[in-house]
This record gives sequence, structure tokens and C-alpha cells, in this order.
Amino acid sequence: MLKNRNIFAFLVLLLTMLFVVACSPAGTGTEVVEEEVPAEDDMAEDEEMAEDEEMADDEEMAEEPYKIGFIAAITGGAAPLGEPEAATAEMIQAQLDEQGGITGPDGVTRPVEIIILDSQSNPDAATSAITQLIEEEEVDLLIAGTTSGNSLAMVPIATENQVPMISMASAGAIVRNEDGSAREWIFKTPQDNLQSAEWQGQYLNTLGFANACYLFENNGYGQDTLASAQAVYPDYGVEIGYNDSFNATDTEFPQVQNVLADGCEVVVIGSTTNGSINMHNAVAQGAPDVAIVHGHGVCNQAFIDGLTDNKEGTPLPCGKLLVPDQLPDDDPQKDVVTTYIDEYTAFTGGDPISTFGGHAYDAFLMAIAALESLEGGQELDARRAAIRDYLETQIIDFPGTGGVFNMSAEDHLGLDFTALTFVRVEGDGYAFYPEDAWGTE
Amino acid sequence: MQKLLQSQTARRIAQIALVTVLVGLTIYFAAQKNYRPVQYVQLALDGLRGGTIYALVALGFVTVFNVTGIINFAQGAFAMLGAMIAVSVNIALADLPGVPRLLLAGLAAVLITTLVGVIMERVTIFPARDAEPLTLIIITVGVFIVLQGIALLIWGTDSYSLDSFTTFETSDHIIRLGGEAEGAIPLIIRSQSFWIWGTAAVLMAGLWFFFERTMIGRALKACSDNRQAAALMGISPERMSMLSFALAAAVGAIGGFVLAPATRPIYDMGLSLGLKGFIAAIIGGLVNPAAAVVGGLMLGVIENLGAGITRAGFKDVIAFLILILMLLFRPQGLFTRQQRVEKV
Repeated sequence: MLKNRNIFAFLVLLLTMLFVVACSPAGTGTEVVEEEVPAEDDMAEDEEMAEDEEMADDEEMAEEPYKIGFIAAITGGAAPLGEPEAATAEMIQAQLDEQGGITGPDGVTRPVEIIILDSQSNPDAATSAITQLIEEEEVDLLIAGTTSGNSLAMVPIATENQVPMISMASAGAIVRNEDGSAREWIFKTPQDNLQSAEWQGQYLNTLGFANACYLFENNGYGQDTLASAQAVYPDYGVEIGYNDSFNATDTEFPQVQNVLADGCEVVVIGSTTNGSINMHNAVAQGAPDVAIVHGHGVCNQAFIDGLTDNKEGTPLPCGKLLVPDQLPDDDPQKDVVTTYIDEYTAFTGGDPISTFGGHAYDAFLMAIAALESLEGGQELDARRAAIRDYLETQIIDFPGTGGVFNMSAEDHLGLDFTALTFVRVEGDGYAFYPEDAWGTE
Repeated sequence: MQKLLQSQTARRIAQIALVTVLVGLTIYFAAQKNYRPVQYVQLALDGLRGGTIYALVALGFVTVFNVTGIINFAQGAFAMLGAMIAVSVNIALADLPGVPRLLLAGLAAVLITTLVGVIMERVTIFPARDAEPLTLIIITVGVFIVLQGIALLIWGTDSYSLDSFTTFETSDHIIRLGGEAEGAIPLIIRSQSFWIWGTAAVLMAGLWFFFERTMIGRALKACSDNRQAAALMGISPERMSMLSFALAAAVGAIGGFVLAPATRPIYDMGLSLGLKGFIAAIIGGLVNPAAAVVGGLMLGVIENLGAGITRAGFKDVIAFLILILMLLFRPQGLFTRQQRVEKV
């Protein structure tokens, strides 16, 4: 019996540990699962790169290539996000090779080498990759970080070594210090949850909802959506009444009874695809008269396919990449969005378009613009500093797939709510939902 | 603290105080919400559905524990595999009409998962059969992580859907009771809930028949009563160990299969199912199948009602609070007398 007790005590400890590990928010942009990936892949990749380098050296004795370090989660839990990013990087490399490289203001064309490493969706692998890129490859700048967790792990290393880094992850903390000022060397391209909340606030206000229930997934991303909503909704006269969390793998949703008891007429759900589908269906079944609004974390086809009840007309803010054909012709992003879609589709042979690849594309557009501005003959440190200054001061009215960027010393994202657009579910796809149509039918 | 707990009266007083506090808290929280009676019924009904799945997972824990003396933490992975395999077969056979499609999906899920259970026992437990139970338990945790990792490689991070057994399509038939009057809240029951309850009832009857009325089932039972005596009677404990894992895997897979249409199966659903099933088994005292089933139903209802009247985010907190209280005050289970466990 005593022995049994000891085993039980041990088990409780074990369970608690398991649970803590399983439930700790790993990365805020997505569910990140640490996964062992055979080391050989990396080595093979490195060898290939070494060969590429030698060949490049042979051919281009005249000019040293610019080096862009690129780190994405090509394997592991965030692979669905990292794969299109890596494909975009390969596409840019192919385009640059075709053009022979980047021509500076001095008229000299220098080749560009993009060194692609895999973070394995794992902050440890990400930090060792960024160290390798900075110290061994001596890259001019970094485009790094698929998930918020990985990006945040790399931020101090880039900062310490004074290398400009553009992240492809969502959390605002990547580019902001705790006091709200911009991190000197770090930039990012994806929209924040704040811009999503702006759209939701406007929409709720237009439809006359003064009280909203807020349900968010119990992880860093979900909590960030709630914090953003709490910061923004009051500006639009919307109050958040009942708010509660849920897990993506829950099978029962007592939240629905709370929604009914609270009496709110609209529920806003802040989660990514899997959790949002479960919560949406539960609310739509248990409280069919309550309207449901989503955030921009679910802008993909899987979300639409998963909805079973009250699917038609579900409104949400999304990046413009999803509704390219329906954008008005005068939209400043229309050109870059259609260009990216055409190029990516041609390069990959028809892979589906994802906003994550778009975030990588935007980062490369900025990087190339910065490299084009470089005077020849500068040392590495001077080049890095010049790139940083360019990103901060010259990215003005800069259209990308994720929005029109206006970087400044205070804001290293440079987007406002117009970076997103408002859509609703129509049939099996998303349809542009212009503001003047809100609540009219 | 230890001394205090050992004293019988102090224990009794602590228990009474605890129950009073819990009841008081429940009433206090419930009063904070303006729930109607039907909403409590709704919460309890939903909890009963989840609890049925916990009960099936708990049955797996009890079966393996009785025969081998180890707690098989891979049990949750069996439920996950059952759900995921059924989903894949259902997608692969999309051209077939509903009934044979779902039957084949269920059959494949149960057979493959049972095979996984047998392989797991042969490859990991059997070679280490002379090791301490603790070692074996750690092995099962390792197996769980491996199975989940494999599921991640096969199915990725997306969630899937299995067709409802009633409609043969993704959206289930929903029964609404009451609520016709203006402003009334109807009681909502998804048709799949009846499938879950029905399957569980049939399964439990089948298990009872197996253990009480068949030779092999009785051999299994004999092995759990007294391993050595059973071995002397010509029953091979090793074979019974394998059989217990096969049975546990099959029951888990059936649980996952019937649960699948009511949720969206995903590769990591096994963790919470396994932990909740474990808590259910602990409530039942870990050795008694019937008590484990009651434990599962109780856990489901208490957890969902508790989450409903406090915050939904507290759902797991409530479940683990129950686990800790059980281990502190009644490690022998709610329905077992102290001395019976001493014998085991």
C-alpha cells in the first residue's frame, strides 16, 4: 500500500509535468510542436550550400555576393506556414539569378545569395541557425522566424550582433520593447491582432452591437487577440462582457451556456483554424441566434470546410491575398498581390496561395530595395547599418501583399487596419464584404 | 500534515469540511450566473457525453492494470488512433454509401489500433516484463509520445471531421427539446450522443459477458486475481498481458471512433483523453471496471458543470483538483472499502 502511494505521488508529479509541457503556449502564431528531425538533412543542406558557394565564387570572381540569411520552420509543427515561405525564398533566388543580381546606385550588379536554413519549428534550432548565419556566413541581413516564439528567441541575437532582421511572425512584441518603443534592429511584415480588432470594432459598431462576448483559445495567440480587442473595442463603443478561454481539443463547450446567460448578441472568436471551427460550431448549434465574428487567424480554406452550422455570411477580417480578384482596381496593393500570386503559382506549379508566403515575399521586397540602395565598397558592418537605416526611413508607402508599409523610428511594422480587408464566407469561399454592405441585408 | 491525515477523526473532519466548502462554493458560483434550470441539464448532458468517452478510456486503464499491474499512459493514443484511422478510411472510401463506409472505417480503426496495442506490448512491455512497474509505466509514456509523433507525421497539424452516424455527412442531426416559446432555451442533444451512449452500453455488456462467461475472459480475470496461481493452472501471464493490451486498444479505438463525429479529431487529442480517462479510473479505484465507468461519467458531469458555473478555462483545473483530492483522501477509489485494496 505504501509503495502504491509512492507510485501515485510520482504519477501526479509526472502528470502535472506532462500537462504543463503540453499546455504551455509555444509560439503565439501557431501550435508549435517540437519534433526530432534527423540531423543528416541539415548536413546535406549545408554541404549543398557549400558547393553552391564555391560555384558562385568561381563564376563571379569580380563581385562578392550579397548574402540574405533566411530561417523558416520548414519542418515541425509550423511547417504548413514555413513551407510556402521557403518556396517563396527559392522563387526570389531564381528571379535574382535570372537578373544576375542587384544593381546598386553605382551601376555595378552584384549577385545575391539566399541561404535557407530550417528552424524545425524549434527555438533552439532557430537560435543556432541564426548564429551560424551571422558568424560563419556573415550575412548582410536576416529574414527569419515563422512563428512568434522562434522570432522572439532570435531577436536578442540579431540585436546584439547588430544585424537587421525582418520577422515573418505575428506577435507585436517581436518589433516592440516592453515600453512600446521599436526594437532598433528588428522589423516584421505580418499584420498584428490590433488591426484585426480595429475591423471587428468597426463592424460591431456599424451593426449596433454594444456588448460582445469574447472567446479565445487558451494559448499565447488567443490571449493576444483578447488583449487587442480589449484595447481597441472601447474606441468603437463596444464593450466586452463575458470572455472565456477554450482549448482546441475540447469536446464540450460550457462557454455556450455562459453566452446564453450573458445575453450578448454577438460572439467574437479569437483562435486559429482548429479551435475556431470547434467553437464556431458549438455556438452556432447551442445559440443559433447569436452572431459570430472571427479574427484573421482563420483565413484559409480548411476553416470554411470545417464549419457545419451558420456558415454562410460569417464575417471576418483577412489579408487581401485571399480575395485578389475582388479587390477594387484602385487598391494600392492590387498590383503586388496579383504579381505574387502569378509568380508563386508559376514557380511552384500550382501550390495554393497562403498569406505566410506573402509575408516572406514582402520581407524580400524590402530587403531587395534596401540592397539596391547600397553604395559599393562598404564594409559588412557599414552595410548592415545602412540596410537598417533604409528599412526604417525609406519604406514609405511601400505596397506589399500584407499591406502598405510606412516604417518609422517608432513603428517597425508600419501597417494600419487598411492592411486587412473585410470578407465573409460565401458558399465555399471568401467574398469581399465592403463596408457599405454591412448589415444591410 | 502527515500525522494529521493519519488520524481517523481528523481525516473525517477534513473530508466533511472539504465537502462543505465545495458545496458552498458551487452554490455561490451558481448564484452568480443567471442560468435557467434547463441550462444546468444541458451542461450535465454534455458532460455525460464526454464522460462516456472518459469511461471507455478508463476501462482500458483498468483492464491493463488488473492483468499487468502497470498504468498504460498510451491509452489516450489508442483513442486518438481510433478516431484518426476512421477519419482516413472514411475519406478514402468516399464513394461508398454511408453505412458500409462508416462500418469499414470503424472496423479498420479498431483492428489497426488493436494491432498497434499488441505490437506495443510485444515490442516494449514484454522484453521488460521483469522490470519494476514504475519502469514499465515510464515505457508507456514513451510509447504515447512515439505514437503521437507518428500521428503528427501522418496526419499533420490539421483537424479532420468524421461523418455523423445518423446523417452520413459532416453536420449532425440535432434534436431540440422545448424552446418553442418566445425566449425559452431549448435542450439540445446531438444525435451522435445517442450513438456514443449506445455503443458504450453495448460495449460494457459485451465486456461483462467476455469476462464472466467466456473461457479466455475468465483466464484473464484469473490472471488479475492471482498471477501465480493462474500460471500454475496453465494460464500464460505473458499471453494474458498481450491480450489485455489488445483489449484496451480495441476499447480505446471504439471510444475514439464514436467520439470522432462529435468533435474534430486531431493528432494531439489523445493527451487530454488519456489524462481524463486516468482520473476516471482513479475515481473508480483503478481495479474495478464498473466503478471506472461510473467514475468517468461522474468526472464528465462534474467537470462540465463546474466549468459552466465558474469559467470554462477552469475545466482542466477542476478535473485535476478531483485527481489530487482522490489521491489524498481516497486512493482506493470512491466505491471501494479500505481493506479490500490492502489485499490487492
